[in-house]
Amino acid sequence: MFTVQAKIKRSLTLLAMSALALTMAYSQRVSAQSKALVIGIAENTTSLDPARAFEPESGIILKGTYDTLVTFPPDNVDKIVPDLATWTISTDGLTYTFTLKDGLTFSSGNPVTANDAVFSFNRMKNIKGNPSFLAATISSVSAPDAKTIVLKLTTPDPAILAKLVYPAFAVTDSAVVKQHGGTDAADADKSDTAGSWLDNNSAGTGPYVLTQWDKHNQTTLVRNTKYKGTTPAFDQVILRDIPQAATQKSSLETGDIDIAYDLTPDQSASVKGNSSLKLFEGAGNTVFFLLMNQDKTIGGPLSDPKVDQAIRLALDYSGVLKLTGGSAVTPASVIPVGFADAFGTDKALTRNLDAAKKLLADAGQSSGFTINLEYPDFTYQGVNIGTTAQKVQADLKDLGITVNLKPADVQVALANYRTGKSAFALWFWGPDFIDPQDYVEFLPDGIVGKRANWTSANSDPAIQKVRDQLNIETDTAKRTALFAQMQTYLQQNGPFAPIVQPGIQIGYRADLKGFAYNAQWIIDPATFSRQ
Amino acid sequence: MSLGFFIIRRLLLTIPLLIGVTLISFVLAHIVPADPITANLGQRAISDPTIVAAFRAQWGLDQPLPAQYAVYLRNLLSGNLGVSIHSRRPVLDDLRAYAPATIELATTATLLGVSLGLLLGVLAAVGRGKLIDSVARFVSLIGLSAPVFWLALIALAVFYVRLRVVPGPGRLDATIKAPPTISGLLILDSLFAGRWDALRNAVGHLILPSLVLGSYSMGTITRITRAGMIDSLAQDYVRTARSKGLRERIVWFRHAFRNALIPVVTVIGLTYGTLLSGAVLTETIFAWPGIGRYAYLASTTLDFPAIMGVSLFLSLIFILINLVVDVLYYLVDPRLRAR
Repeated sequence: MFTVQAKIKRSLTLLAMSALALTMAYSQRVSAQSKALVIGIAENTTSLDPARAFEPESGIILKGTYDTLVTFPPDNVDKIVPDLATWTISTDGLTYTFTLKDGLTFSSGNPVTANDAVFSFNRMKNIKGNPSFLAATISSVSAPDAKTIVLKLTTPDPAILAKLVYPAFAVTDSAVVKQHGGTDAADADKSDTAGSWLDNNSAGTGPYVLTQWDKHNQTTLVRNTKYKGTTPAFDQVILRDIPQAATQKSSLETGDIDIAYDLTPDQSASVKGNSSLKLFEGAGNTVFFLLMNQDKTIGGPLSDPKVDQAIRLALDYSGVLKLTGGSAVTPASVIPVGFADAFGTDKALTRNLDAAKKLLADAGQSSGFTINLEYPDFTYQGVNIGTTAQKVQADLKDLGITVNLKPADVQVALANYRTGKSAFALWFWGPDFIDPQDYVEFLPDGIVGKRANWTSANSDPAIQKVRDQLNIETDTAKRTALFAQMQTYLQQNGPFAPIVQPGIQIGYRADLKGFAYNAQWIIDPATFSRQ
Repeated sequence: MSLGFFIIRRLLLTIPLLIGVTLISFVLAHIVPADPITANLGQRAISDPTIVAAFRAQWGLDQPLPAQYAVYLRNLLSGNLGVSIHSRRPVLDDLRAYAPATIELATTATLLGVSLGLLLGVLAAVGRGKLIDSVARFVSLIGLSAPVFWLALIALAVFYVRLRVVPGPGRLDATIKAPPTISGLLILDSLFAGRWDALRNAVGHLILPSLVLGSYSMGTITRITRAGMIDSLAQDYVRTARSKGLRERIVWFRHAFRNALIPVVTVIGLTYGTLLSGAVLTETIFAWPGIGRYAYLASTTLDFPAIMGVSLFLSLIFILINLVVDVLYYLVDPRLRAR
């Protein structure tokens, strides 16, 4: 044996030993940071300025740092409850009067006044960012005195209170925001410069204060020492950007993170089988559906309502559920199961191939036809859209319809979809605000209705009447009845076939208490504590 | 031609090269049949013409394309790379934030990959035909053929979750405060600040992604070194050296090994450049906030300023690395100098 070899072997061993020593020194894992709650999440935040933010992750952060006038109960979205204010509604439904609670202060120490709310709302509307559409029905907001806010609408808006829960309507500390370049002037989209300051600091009333947003790395919240409500158990909340679900699960297993936000259905079994972890499984907010173009020159045979109903009856819904896995459910309509006034999954359509074939024959298409199915080729909310499209292709083959798959990159596919040029498409809709009112957009002339070229010109006057009434009706009992009418109608008519509503899976350490899921903010960092 | 003249000429050529890069990436980014508004505005916002108009005006997207390019070039000449649409931060700041992470990772990956590769290559050549040769070649085969994302996931599952010998994803633990940023390289910054806890933690976090990322270059370099050494050892000058009575160790390292190094230098240059362009998969799996992920996000959200900024940055890196490699050749190979 050459001495060269021996020397190499010796230095190799030395190298290996020192490397191991270095890492061993680390592996005393800094354990049970009971003072910090660490959440692993795939970062999707583009802004932490409440007037600009519009993503689920920013929703968690803003829930911890800001408050709104009204809110939902901790674990459901069935009713609106007071947060910073109580309210009354005028009889014509056009004026909402809010009265601020006493003794509220911002994290800066400044008292909360009605002018702060007025400033915040106007700023959000005038910045014309992603969430500004939420203020579309607001004609004016004013503060007759320090504790009263008067909201005037352009038209009765049954969903305005649900919209006000959105962090876009957070009450921000106007003095502090103005100090950093904020403005609520009409040209705020050009003149407001507070965005970058608000990306790294907060000016709210919440139990936490934002101290740092290290983009695509981590976001840190610390306890608001001036908070008037219940002190949260954790002094610090850290959101770590971990884009891969597998990596999130690994970090959860070792305890480096306390909550793994983006777990997928195929990881559920493993998490449930681990005694140091728990899994929350619930229904998500997104509904995947087929769109069938009602314009004959685009949709061809799909413009025939009988063909549309045939397709609705030909889908193998339980098969799609198996494909999606986890806590997915079959929605009874485009309104997600779990929303107020939404039909339960018990009312969902089931496959009836015979009835479908008969309808197809009645439509004169018994020999079938060929159609292209366009869809974005990626996985969203745990649903692999490509695989689901293949399932639709297989299901419709049984009906004699040949479906050609036409996947495209999401940005490219969006163009056709949004301009109403897709004959047959597989897409999804996530709610803009947590209220069934958002789904009126699926009716004729609505945003999604137009994408299927479903307009007043080619739709049933009966459903148009339901739509018009829904747009102004504020009485809760009457709304329930109208939504029931809408959902029943859509199960037999219209250009949409809702396929699946995927579930969400959030893993967390078993020693974490206080987990509560809310469809609006998903999780509230202030509710957690460690046993 | 003298070395100095050579370097200057190459550096001067860089400028038209980079301008060409901006033109090509501008054209390519705009040929894609999609619109940044679909990528950046929500489903409701996009139906509101006021919001869309405000967005277009804010990002200069309402100007004709040649005008947009002209504005970009003009800003570029004053050192302004524009503002990223998805991070709403100057692209230069974004690059400053993410490039060091990738530089640190790529450098350690290359160092590890190269040293392991050289070691294994030498061992394989020395013990040619014996067990050590087969083992070294097998390890190199894994590095060459195993998909890097698979290696990453397996490495995490084994060394992080099961054995707990390495810290997890990310550059630092959540609860360790980062040292003040001077270079952006955590190892250097921790040293500057005297933060031993951060240094230990940062090195720990670097080990696994570096090994994974360096596995391909390790595989390549093992093979090249082994082949190069075997080749050198068959040369006449080695027989001469032996017959002069030189010890084996000198024969191996002063003569055979050095001559086998020349192709290795090329490979190092190529792989380092490739790694610097950001290994998206490794960075995603290890939650490493680097250029690869930034570039991926920029391209999927049609963030034109970021796309151009990243293209420029990476082109510059490749040009510089190629220059360094050429200079190294010149220095390492006496035959080039003799001309």
